[in-house]
Amino acid sequence: MNIELIFQIAGIGILTAIFHTILKQAGKEEYSFIATLAGVSIALMMVIQLLAELLDQVQGVFFL
Amino acid sequence: MEILQVVGIGLTGTILTVFLKESNKEVAVFVSLATGLVLFIFALSKIGDVLDVLQELARRAQINLFYLTTVLKIMGIAYLAEFGAQICKDTGEGAIATKIELAAKILVMVLALPIIMAILESVLRLLPS
Repeated sequence: MNIELIFQIAGIGILTAIFHTILKQAGKEEYSFIATLAGVSIALMMVIQLLAELLDQVQGVFFL
Repeated sequence: MEILQVVGIGLTGTILTVFLKESNKEVAVFVSLATGLVLFIFALSKIGDVLDVLQELARRAQINLFYLTTVLKIMGIAYLAEFGAQICKDTGEGAIATKIELAAKILVMVLALPIIMAILESVLRLLPS
């Protein structure tokens, strides 16, 4: 059970939220959107690897 | 005491999700998804041992392994569909969740059809012609 991954994703979320706020305050709306998009993409990459592991394991256990 | 770990991970994930929901909704979904995946993978490693015992029992009772694998496949489909549907429901997409459940039910029915046919054939064989 790797709980580090949950903390990593939460950290990415907090960081992108801060970037979003700072860039919005600076008047760079378009950059703030891109920052959020980048954070979501990185989190998606991490979750997708975990999802692939789960699907592999389910296929192995249940003969799917 | 693995249940303590499970509860701890679940609570940590919940707190982080609630914290992130205010500022960053998209990543909050990922946090809850990752928490669910970690817990699910852990539970799956335990289910594997139980299923090994079940297979051993079926082998000793000389039950056709085809029936056991069908039941196991149905269980797998149900687990996966429930997981996906719950994630969809949590994010407010009830319609997609319902479709996932519908597809899972249909897949289960397709898997169960050979068994139903076998039962019907044995019933027909019992009936006097």
